[in-house]
Amino acid sequence: MNERKTSTTKRALATGALALSLAVAAPTTALAADIKVGSAGGITGPIAELVAPIINGRVLAAAHVNEQGGLLGGDMYKLVHADSQCDPKAAVDAGQKLVNIEQVVAIVGPSCSGATNAMVQSVTIPAGVAVLSDSATAPAITELEDNDLVFRVSASDAYQGKSLAQYVRDEGFTRVAITYANDDYNAGLAKVFEKEFKALGGTITGSQLHEPDKASYRSELSTLSGNGNPEALALFAYYGSSGITILRNSLENGLFGKFYIADGMLDDSVIEQLGADALRDNIWATRPVSVETPSFDMFADAFRGVGQDPDAPFTAHGYDVAFLMALAIEHAGAPDRGKIAASLREVANAPGEVIRPGEWAKAKKLIAAGTDINYEGATGTIEFDRMGDVPGIHSLNAVGDDGTWTRIK
Amino acid sequence: MELVYGIFLYAVFLLTMGGIYAVLTLALNVQWGFCGLFNAGIAGFFAIGAYTAAILTAAPSPRHLGGFGLPIPLGLLAAMVASAIIAWGVGRLCMRLRSDYLAIATLGIAETLRLALKNELDLTNGARGISRIPKPFEHLAEPWDQIAMLALVCAIVVALYALLERARRAPWGRVMTAIRENEASARAAGKNVEHLRVEAFVLGGALMGLGGALMAHHIKFIEPNAAEPVSATFLVWVMLIVGGSANNRGAVLGAVLIWTLWSGTEIITARLPTEWAIKAAYLRIFLIGLALQFMLQRYPGGILRERRLRTSSATSSPSSPPPAAAAGPP
Repeated sequence: MNERKTSTTKRALATGALALSLAVAAPTTALAADIKVGSAGGITGPIAELVAPIINGRVLAAAHVNEQGGLLGGDMYKLVHADSQCDPKAAVDAGQKLVNIEQVVAIVGPSCSGATNAMVQSVTIPAGVAVLSDSATAPAITELEDNDLVFRVSASDAYQGKSLAQYVRDEGFTRVAITYANDDYNAGLAKVFEKEFKALGGTITGSQLHEPDKASYRSELSTLSGNGNPEALALFAYYGSSGITILRNSLENGLFGKFYIADGMLDDSVIEQLGADALRDNIWATRPVSVETPSFDMFADAFRGVGQDPDAPFTAHGYDVAFLMALAIEHAGAPDRGKIAASLREVANAPGEVIRPGEWAKAKKLIAAGTDINYEGATGTIEFDRMGDVPGIHSLNAVGDDGTWTRIK
Repeated sequence: MELVYGIFLYAVFLLTMGGIYAVLTLALNVQWGFCGLFNAGIAGFFAIGAYTAAILTAAPSPRHLGGFGLPIPLGLLAAMVASAIIAWGVGRLCMRLRSDYLAIATLGIAETLRLALKNELDLTNGARGISRIPKPFEHLAEPWDQIAMLALVCAIVVALYALLERARRAPWGRVMTAIRENEASARAAGKNVEHLRVEAFVLGGALMGLGGALMAHHIKFIEPNAAEPVSATFLVWVMLIVGGSANNRGAVLGAVLIWTLWSGTEIITARLPTEWAIKAAYLRIFLIGLALQFMLQRYPGGILRERRLRTSSATSSPSSPPPAAAAGPP
């Protein structure tokens, strides 16, 4: 019986290996001029509706590179997508396939902090592959011993929570209630906001987490509104899974009238569903992007040009990671895993000739000439610190006269 | 050449994950295959094991309880003990329930456990998870670290297999089959059915905890999303049903096979254009469901069906074993 088991196993293994090598070998030899970069993201899973536009941002950057001469000696910049499902198990699996089967030179993504954390710790750091995340915001990622291989263009939550707390105090509010969706992103933001708001002399009248995807949040909201007389609600949630419902419940029942939100809520559907008039002068939102910079406008025009919404959360980050990675490969001079991480810092940080989204041809020429470049991204000036983090740049947005999100600060 | 080496490393990873799932599948086999207990809450015991091991072995952090930086074997052991204790409590409460009611109760308990772990911020750091969990042999140079991890997982699977095979052939295993097939006659034969069911439930629960702990060490990070029912409960069920319930070899085979299907299909879909690659991600989940349907329709006993034990007096009997009336579909 044991013999039979071994032989079946062997046969299965041999068949599997054969199938794998067939699946892999054929395309790699046919497209030898591709330079592959992994694009991991939570394509399925709890934030799938946010991830699809982010991936479109990455794809647009790759298209810009390929339209304007490609990488190095005219090689195609190819993003290989993998589904990290916002689950650490799946992210490790996706990372293994990208690094070993696809042989990517670097990875952009994954989306969620937990997925990123697991993937970099168990796959990419040991393999020596650089990772540049567009939307992992957990402070824990800063602390990893990463051999300088893990970068992100989204600021750690520590920054956005602080900015929002400062804005709320500047508006003159002193008593605020908090509700946050119980996921890694929103819980982290809420924690920092609470700490910073108290440090600025404000009072948190109540802090209540909520599970997403419930039909109603009336009971949670009436508890919050009934205790300690809050003047405003700080709401940390994703718009689709709970944010819109909470705003609607609050407004319909007169529980809260003023809201502070963060970028997970910044979507046109919030205004569409609740009406611009109900929200105008009642809601303020931070966003980790300094809009109205020339860089953002260049990205936004191009992104609208392909029928996408540049204001959707983290799409500008998606564009920036893919574009920055291309710059780093070009700067490294070869699709060499070992050199890309060092090059990332070179092309992103000042000083140097400023490169903006879409300016691939210009960047390629400058790099070829040996000129130092400095990418000013759609999300703002990207300057990696020692830990591979960027300092936060946050704008404050409100509902404008035209019924869209408009930057006010 | 690099590609061949890459495929080798991926194969090592694939088998390691398959092996960890085999631990979970063997555990479910004790409960469902042996004793007919419909546990739809594997994820709960998986999570208890994973978090116990994580808290005990991770580097110290101000964000959660511990980490205590203890040796990994101790973490594995503690994970089994913690899961066994929870399983004992659940078992005491639920073992009188008939199978479909037990399924609902365990499903609810697993979600309760997951939400508790998600909300006990001081204990587990909630949704932000526990980071920097040590991985066995990670100080070794590539590829030996990964090969050693695979060897460890394989050794555990082989040991469990040997142990559970022995248990299955022992009087204990025969009583389990009796309870599964005909509870009334087992009771009439003087067996303490409730007590024996709790035994099977606790043994299975402890092994699920071991599986969770191995997973936490393997991916070096744990958060509540890792214990979602789809990949931590239902996938294990599919593995056992496809492999063949009540057959330990079937459980291991099903785990490796279904994990290969689950993970390997992405290699093919990654080759599609972006838009299709994204759609195909959903198709992969559908594919698993399809595989389950196919197996249930075509081979209701799984690939390797249950092998009935004959009593000692029947060893010389030339008649073939009765066709396995394998445990039915969930």
